[in-house]
Order: sequence, then structure tokens, then C-alpha cells
Amino acid sequence: MAKLLAKLVDVSVGYETTLIDEINLEIYSGDVIAVLGPSGIGKTTLLRTLAGLIRPISGSVELKVKRRGGLGYIPQRLGLISNMSVRSNVEMGARMHASKWLPPIFPLPKKLRPIVDKALRNFDLTDFSNQPVRTLSGGQQRRVATARTVAQQPKLVLADEFLGELDDDNVEIVMKAVKATIKEKKSALVMVEHHEELAYQVANRIWRIVDGKLIEEEIQ
Amino acid sequence: MNTRVFAVASISLLLALITFNDLVGDWGRLEGGWSNLVIFFDESLWPPNWSVLEAQSYPVCEESIGLFCSVAWIGMVETIKIAFVSTAFGFIIALPLAAFAANNLSPKWVSFPARVILSAMRSLPSIIWAILFVIIFDIGTLAGIFAMTFYTVGYLGKLQFESMEGISNAPLEAARAMGMTRAEITYLVAIPESANNLLSHLMFMFEYNVRHGTVIGLVGAGGIGLYLNTYLKMLQYDKVVALLIIVFIVVVLIDMLSMIIRSKFTEEGDVQRPSWSTIFLPAKMASLHHHGKFVHQEDGSEE
Repeated sequence: MAKLLAKLVDVSVGYETTLIDEINLEIYSGDVIAVLGPSGIGKTTLLRTLAGLIRPISGSVELKVKRRGGLGYIPQRLGLISNMSVRSNVEMGARMHASKWLPPIFPLPKKLRPIVDKALRNFDLTDFSNQPVRTLSGGQQRRVATARTVAQQPKLVLADEFLGELDDDNVEIVMKAVKATIKEKKSALVMVEHHEELAYQVANRIWRIVDGKLIEEEIQ
Repeated sequence: MNTRVFAVASISLLLALITFNDLVGDWGRLEGGWSNLVIFFDESLWPPNWSVLEAQSYPVCEESIGLFCSVAWIGMVETIKIAFVSTAFGFIIALPLAAFAANNLSPKWVSFPARVILSAMRSLPSIIWAILFVIIFDIGTLAGIFAMTFYTVGYLGKLQFESMEGISNAPLEAARAMGMTRAEITYLVAIPESANNLLSHLMFMFEYNVRHGTVIGLVGAGGIGLYLNTYLKMLQYDKVVALLIIVFIVVVLIDMLSMIIRSKFTEEGDVQRPSWSTIFLPAKMASLHHHGKFVHQEDGSEE
């Protein structure tokens, strides 16, 4: 049975002005939700509000996931540490399974290394694992950002156009690994996507933002 | 340049010239200044007296190479040692303070006091710190190390927290959303992301401390400054110039070393990492292994 992971009650999001209001939605395990709409309409703001990075203007966002490691966020600019190796970036995700009291100067505990190795393998990154992220192509960097989130094994993944810049083969690699994690961990994915065709291919729910309102579309 | 910018720049320059005139006061005082400088340069400064590179007569030199017993070598090595130790200690103390002071890593109630501490340490020039520590520890290198460490913390801390505040927001947001602690965000995100600047500042501070070793030595805090002070008092300006040229060469060498170290953290460095040859030689001579041809054709004909 699907488990409730997040609930939005009468939520308005925005900065100085409201971009989207009266959002009432629920996110369940197994959901793959694509958020669609033109540029500047508030898709990223909605995602950032869900991630707890900005407060909603009104209403409440209830997340039913662990504070540490329960939520994975892939920003549009990926948020990778460009000077660090691919492995170190992916290790950051796996580190969320360790105690928060583990001093950051200590290396990743040995028992968590298989999680990193598996994520590197699944995203075809093993060959570059020791390279600094800044030396990789845009598509490869997107795979690293997704691998970091998969290594984190979160209950709720929020991804801002993480399939952009990827060719068909890479979309397949990334979505295969993400869907496997969703199935295995009974988690959910909320993704902002510009390519509607792609969104309809991979998602099982569609949220469309029209005139400051969020509407859930029926999938045929 | 648009008219408004040009007008503001012109007024600023005019104001600066008026203020300069006001500060100088009597221009007649400058009469004969240039000829005095030429006489001073010819008679006292030039040529440099390179006897500072010869072994001192006392204490007796036990080294096989006389240079190692010279004033310049002993003073410079001591200055570099003081600068190295102070920069290392200063860096280690400044880094956590800078993380506390950075507004994007710490709340206001933490960042404000941290900034006040750094400002306080920076507001006293290193020579004043040196005088204080000479009083506490007596004349010698220990006073120099403490003086430079204190100043380094204040100065480097400011440069470091500004670098940390300048990093992209995306890695910080990803880290916060995933539930990382402040310590993890600082150590695993902010420090590696600003590594290039942190290294640059570290090397600059080392170079600054080497240069400043000449100043704090003047108050007895050890290093080459002690010898400079002695020669200044004895009016042996040709020896002072020789020592200053040696300090200049060391500073240039540190700058080159800094370029090589920082290249490990830049995209430019990934393309072509600098080597000693690329620093000293023109690009064409340094890249002798690059034999390819680059032709820029604008009109369709090859030159």
C-alpha cells in the first residue's frame, strides 16, 4: 500500500509576490510526478519550498520523511562540488546513512562504501570515479548529481530539470537507476521538466501550473 | 563610457587633485628633491653591496659553502621559517573562525561576533603585535611568530569568509535539503568549493609574511629585518638595497609556486598545468611539444 510522504495544505509559494497559490496535494510512495509549465511560472520555487529551502507564503507543507537523508534535492545547477572527485561527491549522499555526530573530517565508514560503488556502477561512472567533477561533460555531471542522490537513498527525490542536456541513452541509464531506487526504497520523485514528451514517458502523475494554480492532469 | 560615468570619474579625479594640493601645502619644499634623490642613489644606494652574501667573520663559519653563513642567508631563512610557521598556525585558526563569520554558513548571532573578533585582530598592524610580543617574550623569533600569527588570523580570516560567501548557492542548497549538519556543509562543501581562493589567499599571506618579516624584524622580532635595522642605523644603505633585492626575489619565487599549486584547482590548470618553463619562458618557447598549426583566415586566403 502506498505510503503518504508529503502533504501540502492551502500552500502559496513565491518570493515577494505569490507565484502559485491554493496548492492542496499529497505525494505517495511510488509516485513519479512531473511538474510542467512555462519558464518563470514558479516550478523551481515550488520545488524549493518542498525541499524546505524557502518557507511557503501561507499554508503548510508536511513532510513525512527523515530530516537527515530522507529528502534528496537535485538543483537545476546540480550543486556538485566541482573541485572534488566523482567518488567524493557520491560519498556525500551515502554519508547521510552515517550518524550526524560522525566528524566530517573522518572518512566514510567502510560499511557504506558498497552503496557508493553500486551508485557509480549504475550510472556508468566507475571509470571517472577519481576525476574532479569539473573535468566532466554536462551530461556526465548530471549523472553524478543523480548518483549522489541515489546513494543517499531518500524517500522523496526533488529534481529540477535533471534530465536536461542528457541524450536518449543517458536518459535511459538515469531513469532506470532512479526508478529502481524508487521501487526498492518505496520512495517518490517530483521532477520539474521542460520536455513534455519526456515527462509523459517517465511520469505516472502530471502537475501543470497554469495562471498561478497547480492542476493535476489525468494521464491517459 | 557613457557621459554620466565620465562626469563622475572626472569630478573624482579633480577632487583627488585638489585634496593632494591641500595635503602638499607648500610646493616650494619639493625644490631640489629629485637631485637630492639622484645624489642619494648614486652615493649611498647603488651599486648594492653584495658582501651580505659572504660568510660573516664572527661566528666562525663551519659550513663548506660560505653563503650559508652570510647575513642574507641566515636572515632570509629565519624570516621564511617565521613566515611559514605563522602562516600555518594562522590558517588553521582562521579557517573555523571564517566559517563562523560567513553569513551563508552561520546564523547572524554567530557570524557577527566572529567578524568582530577577526576585525579586532586585524585592526592592530603586525608591527604593533610585534612590539607587544617583544615585551612579553623578549627580542627574538618567538615574538615574531606570535605577532605574525595574530595578524594572519585577522587578515586571512576575512579573505576566507569572503571566499566562502562567494561560492555558488546550488551545492549549499543541495546539502541543506539532504539534511547535512553545519559542520558537514562547511568541511565537505564550502571549503572544497572555495579551495582555489583559499589556497591563493594562503600563498598570498605567506608571501605577505615574508615581506613583513623585514618590518617586524625592525622591532627585534627576528629574521632579516634585524639585519636591515642594523644596516639602517649604521647608514649602510647599499647593504640594505642588497637585502631588499633578495627579499624581492624570494617574493617572486613564492608567487610562481603559488601559480603552480593553484592550477590544481582550476579548469585552466586542467587544460595546461603551468610548469617552471611556462612561467619563465614565452608561451611559444615553453610549449615546444605542441607542433600543431593555427591559421586564422578572414578573407579565405592562408597567410
